[in-house]
Amino acid sequence: MDSVSKVYGFLWALRDVRLEIGAGEWVGLLGPNGAGKTTLLRILAALAYPTAGAVELFGQDLSYGNSPLRRSIGFLASGVHLYDSLTVSENLRFFVSLYRNDVGADERATVLNEVGLHAKRDEYVSALSLGMRCRLAIAKWRLVRPRLLLVDEPYGSLDPSGVDVLNRFLETTCAAGGIVVLATHDVPRLLERCTRAVMLDQGRIVFDESRRDPWDSFHRAFDALQSQDSGGPR
Amino acid sequence: MTGALGQIYWLLWKDLLLEARRRDNLLSMFFFGLSLLFLFSFAFEISSENVSRMAPGLLWLAFMFSGTLALNQLFQGDRENDCLDALLLAPLDRGAYYLTKVFFNFSLMFLLELCILPLFGILFRLDFWHLLPNVLLYTLLGTLGFSVVGVLFAAVTLRARARALLLPVLLFPLMIPVILGTVRTLQIILGAGTAAELVPWFRLLVGFDLIFITAGFLLLEWVLDG
Repeated sequence: MDSVSKVYGFLWALRDVRLEIGAGEWVGLLGPNGAGKTTLLRILAALAYPTAGAVELFGQDLSYGNSPLRRSIGFLASGVHLYDSLTVSENLRFFVSLYRNDVGADERATVLNEVGLHAKRDEYVSALSLGMRCRLAIAKWRLVRPRLLLVDEPYGSLDPSGVDVLNRFLETTCAAGGIVVLATHDVPRLLERCTRAVMLDQGRIVFDESRRDPWDSFHRAFDALQSQDSGGPR
Repeated sequence: MTGALGQIYWLLWKDLLLEARRRDNLLSMFFFGLSLLFLFSFAFEISSENVSRMAPGLLWLAFMFSGTLALNQLFQGDRENDCLDALLLAPLDRGAYYLTKVFFNFSLMFLLELCILPLFGILFRLDFWHLLPNVLLYTLLGTLGFSVVGVLFAAVTLRARARALLLPVLLFPLMIPVILGTVRTLQIILGAGTAAELVPWFRLLVGFDLIFITAGFLLLEWVLDG
């Protein structure tokens, strides 16, 4: 992302964001509410236009509309992007068919089994809890295998075994040379796994460092941000 | 099935499944169309010599108003849970998406028309059964015209706050050629006119359908992703 800015009306959601992510990286996107995390994810997913700046993905300009690059982008958001009136297996079949037409019933059943939803395959999505929906979204992207996986606040809805399923999937994606960008407020859980932390505040990147143990510099930056938010010393 | 055809198949499969489970579109269209026809038949006392001139207009008003109701609901299933975002995120051919919605809306409307036409004949005391192939042909052309423009404008107003109001305001002026074509042809058919009288209206309807289906196919990408 090169000097990307996004304005909604009079509100700057992102300001001059420059970000370069390498293959195999797991980027943790942090920041308070309204910092611009979801806007950043939506721009990376080509679901929103930047007001200024350019986005390049795998060496190609991220154009809008139907682009071949879309095959490489996944967006895992808990609770959304699923049809309530379709069953678990129907949702999976439908969405995966938009990306790949070589996925058989066996492969779908295996993945549903892995995410713990095989027993619920004939239930309507409207009857599923938020955590179950998130597991279904994981199953969908497991089958699609995108090279860039954008994840928006997944931990809040998942139980511990669901978190394990998600983390295993994200690690597999990175190990295969893919990129994961995960936005969350669950700082400890994210810092355990991510290879790079990026912190946003009021649309600007205020912290961007690769993994180091311990994350002292991150904690200093995070504490400074927290005290700003709570009206403490700046 | 691969490519755009495969995507049309799966999109249609999804839309039909959602409609079969909810039935809200078809039922609301049917009862609304039926109520309008009843109201028209009681509100206008049409003499038998005027019926072939006036009834077609009333029939098409009922079709258009019911069709607008369906258009307002057309993208509703995809709007729930931000599924439209999931579709736009996918490598989905936007033209295929447009054609699917046109086919779906067209099928719903045609199904409604098949139910309404016999009631129209009964309520307005019209004996047009021997003319049915011609009536159906022009109804098909008019319905296609309504759907190809309607789907495009339903997509344009998709994110508008006053969508239910905005859609007819934008759509109805553009529907004038379709209304003229279908009403006039039905008047000619019911009034025992000649085939030569139908030709210019046939050309108008076919031309309209072709122009707007091409425009919708090409423009939907800009409308949805813009």
